[in-house]
Amino acid sequence: MNKRKLILFLLLFLLFILEGTLVPWLIPAAWQTRIAPHLVFVVILYFSVYENRHSGLILGLVFGMLHDIVFYGALIGAYSFAMGLSGYLLGLLSRNQRAPLPLMMIVVLLGGLLLDSILFGTYTLFELIHQPYTWALKNHIIPNVLVQFGFALAIYVPLRRQLEIITRRRSPEENA
Amino acid sequence: MPFFQEIMYGWRVRKLFKLLGNKRLFILLMGLILFIAVMGFTLGPRTNLSWPEKFVKDTVGFVQYVFYKPASYVAGFFEDISNLRALQEENEQLKIALAHYTRDKATYNWIAQENERLQNKLDFTEAQKRLYDYTWKIAQVISVNDDPVNRTIVVNLGAREGVKEGMAVTSEKGLVGVISHVSNFTSTVRLATSMDAKDPNSNGIAVTAQGKENDVFGMIETFDREQGMFLMTRIEDATPLKTGDTIVSSGIGGVFPRGMVIGTVKDIQVGEYGLTYTATVEPAANFTDWKELFIVFEPEGEGE
Repeated sequence: MNKRKLILFLLLFLLFILEGTLVPWLIPAAWQTRIAPHLVFVVILYFSVYENRHSGLILGLVFGMLHDIVFYGALIGAYSFAMGLSGYLLGLLSRNQRAPLPLMMIVVLLGGLLLDSILFGTYTLFELIHQPYTWALKNHIIPNVLVQFGFALAIYVPLRRQLEIITRRRSPEENA
Repeated sequence: MPFFQEIMYGWRVRKLFKLLGNKRLFILLMGLILFIAVMGFTLGPRTNLSWPEKFVKDTVGFVQYVFYKPASYVAGFFEDISNLRALQEENEQLKIALAHYTRDKATYNWIAQENERLQNKLDFTEAQKRLYDYTWKIAQVISVNDDPVNRTIVVNLGAREGVKEGMAVTSEKGLVGVISHVSNFTSTVRLATSMDAKDPNSNGIAVTAQGKENDVFGMIETFDREQGMFLMTRIEDATPLKTGDTIVSSGIGGVFPRGMVIGTVKDIQVGEYGLTYTATVEPAANFTDWKELFIVFEPEGEGE
């Protein structure tokens, strides 16, 4: 693993920490019970599209498990499963490593929708919630997806450049 | 045989297989089974966390602690500036509250001493006397998970300080939640907003109204997510209860400490089956912008 990739992973961990500590302070009090943006997941989607879907899967599983263990409320595994699966599926959806901005944004929107829907499904399965899906959609899924969309736009340029450097470096090695 | 398979799957299913591949589909299904097993296993009450969980929780908790405090200071600073105007009003209210407190303190001392004297006369055991000697330990919040269904916060007191599962957690305003899992240096608080009568792992709280402790009895088992209110159910006689009453936990049953402020009554209606009454209770704690919380320690040796 090269140095640049290691630094990116460390930054991803930092983002995970910030998601639990700084982000709640930035959200207005009235929205705090509703918006919980999954910023780490957005970055994982970038890895999944611009590197490959397997790293999306692994990162999703690892960071989801981290989230599950640190914020262990009712059960372990919901985030790990949802992030791993949706990271992988969206990597599968767009195998084009040169995906342009609009495609990436569609991936982010779909990914956010899929992640929160899988989470909602899991909680419904284990009877932690008894509301209909439309309630969840209006209450938190759509606001979440919009915030994630904004975050994805903000990090698009720097993150894509770094990921391209990583993949470009590796591809000659693979060819040789 | 191929014709039979054609009917069995149809072209859509075959397309799915083609997209995922047999091996991948197999792995996906295995993963699904594995995860559902893990979720089911971790869902119920667990007495202890395994050491990898504790290790991850403690190390990440330490890093989060380093970040959360400065963030809360900066955010608190801006909040203070915007609240500057409301400060004078708040000061006035606090002075009134202090006057009430000094007046009540004299009465309280009197009653407390008399209570002690009577307990001695009636030969109360040491455990019975200390039953309600709760200690409140202050805990710093180190991170927040705002997941709308499964909201949790992590605080910086753990098994080393003697925190146990099921202890009540309260802010200076009112009840916040219950400790759900403990590692050595941190513990997770499951917020009261995830309470649900239909969830077998969520326990109800026996409550009463402040000042009417002998007349009012009810249970708080459910948090109504759509209204953002607690539902106080199983009230047999709603006549003494008025809107605006402060609802506190009654400690009946001995599991949950008594005297935790939960909220104020907003509305009283006839309950689901018409036999009992249901009151909606507005939470006293606001469940946002966490800084310090108190963990309520019950006196040791009790009930063992």
